[in-house]
Amino acid sequence: MKTWMRNSIMALMMLMGAVGQSFGQTPPAGMALIPDGVYRPLFRGESDPKEVIVKSFYLDILPVTNGGFLEFVRAIPRWRRSQVKRIFADESYLKSWAGDLDPGTNAPANVPVTEISWFAAKAYAQWKGERLPSVAEWEYAAAASPTRADGKDDTNFTRQVLAWYSTPAPAQLPAAGLGQANFWGVRDLHGLVWEWVADFNTALVTGDAGSDNGLDRRLFCGTGSQGATDVQNYPAFMRYGFRSSLKANYSVHNLGFRCAKDL
Amino acid sequence: MKPTPKAIFLSLAILALAGCAAESSSRAAKPSCCVKAEAPAAFTDKSIYQTESTWMTDQRTQIKLGALAGRPQVVAMFFAHCQFACPIIVNDMKRIEAALPADVSGRIGFTLVSFDAKRDTPPALAEYRKTRDLPAKSWNLMCGRPDDVLELSALLGLSFKENADGQFAHSNVITILNAQGEIVHQQVGLNQDIHETVRLLQQLARN
Repeated sequence: MKTWMRNSIMALMMLMGAVGQSFGQTPPAGMALIPDGVYRPLFRGESDPKEVIVKSFYLDILPVTNGGFLEFVRAIPRWRRSQVKRIFADESYLKSWAGDLDPGTNAPANVPVTEISWFAAKAYAQWKGERLPSVAEWEYAAAASPTRADGKDDTNFTRQVLAWYSTPAPAQLPAAGLGQANFWGVRDLHGLVWEWVADFNTALVTGDAGSDNGLDRRLFCGTGSQGATDVQNYPAFMRYGFRSSLKANYSVHNLGFRCAKDL
Repeated sequence: MKPTPKAIFLSLAILALAGCAAESSSRAAKPSCCVKAEAPAAFTDKSIYQTESTWMTDQRTQIKLGALAGRPQVVAMFFAHCQFACPIIVNDMKRIEAALPADVSGRIGFTLVSFDAKRDTPPALAEYRKTRDLPAKSWNLMCGRPDDVLELSALLGLSFKENADGQFAHSNVITILNAQGEIVHQQVGLNQDIHETVRLLQQLARN
């Protein structure tokens, strides 16, 4: 598709999104409306489309915080640190918290909750009547810079994102919401914590290059070789690699989540 | 508004189109393989039977994974339209079954769970059972909602991805669960040496 065509389609979709919003589709509190759009997968099979249509959805403006997660474990005892089953969360689950119902000084209420497994994130979302975003939804929302729906050509934005990915996570994470809002009004998709997505385990590296590091190729059914579409997008490669290294019960220091919701 | 017969028919038709997800049954029973197995009220910390997800068998029985408890299980995820890896996985499982000594073979379950919630409906799985000749007394075939398929694959540590052509790229792993549903062994890859798996199953069954 020609760039001008794509841009005009995007503009039209955004306009439709904005119109939809004005017709009573007010996002729930704390969420932003992400209008219809497209996600271009980084890796795809020969028969896969270049672009995946992402239907409009709501996305949390901020990652879920320790304060928010405390409400959840208060309500649902089986997700408290002392009660969680190992199959659903490893030994690091909420390990910085002072106690079952006390995040303590190491996990301030306004800081993103981390050290939570995919199962815990999913259970939180269900408890809220929400769900985790898909890879496509997350990447599409995160492609927006502060001023553009597609921040790929916004050099200031790409530089900032890259800078964060090359900086180790600080021992004490900053509060959520300090980052600049992106084009959709969503904050901290980059620059604060990595985030779980619903289909984190759909990343299969089956290309025939030597990039199958650490992945046993006997593991995978080869239904078509995969090729990378945008080799410039280094942070997307990092996220792709990071996701494919995760197991669903991992509870990691710099890995949090946010929720999504259908319209 | 009172639903008209037409509206009811339409909604049923829509349900029928939705694949495994919409297959519902009020009969919550154990699969024929597991009638004798009494599921314990609580599972261990590391048991995948902790999950709340529900599944449909090829015999249109709705079950929870915990219904598989009580004897060791040889578990793989697959899809019936798979042309390449899945027939080999199923064949590997049949090799394992054939290699079990007589006193053990009746005490091990074999479970296939589909990735393909759209096409692998109970009738499609029943057909698969027939063509692959999978005996009802030891083999379970089941399908579930996409969300539950995703969760089970996460519990088993498998990756999969649906391609645009409806094929699934997926991990090729056969998992051995003990009677409590804990993962005790994973055989990775196709056409592997089954010796270790068979030895382990004997040990689990005789304990």
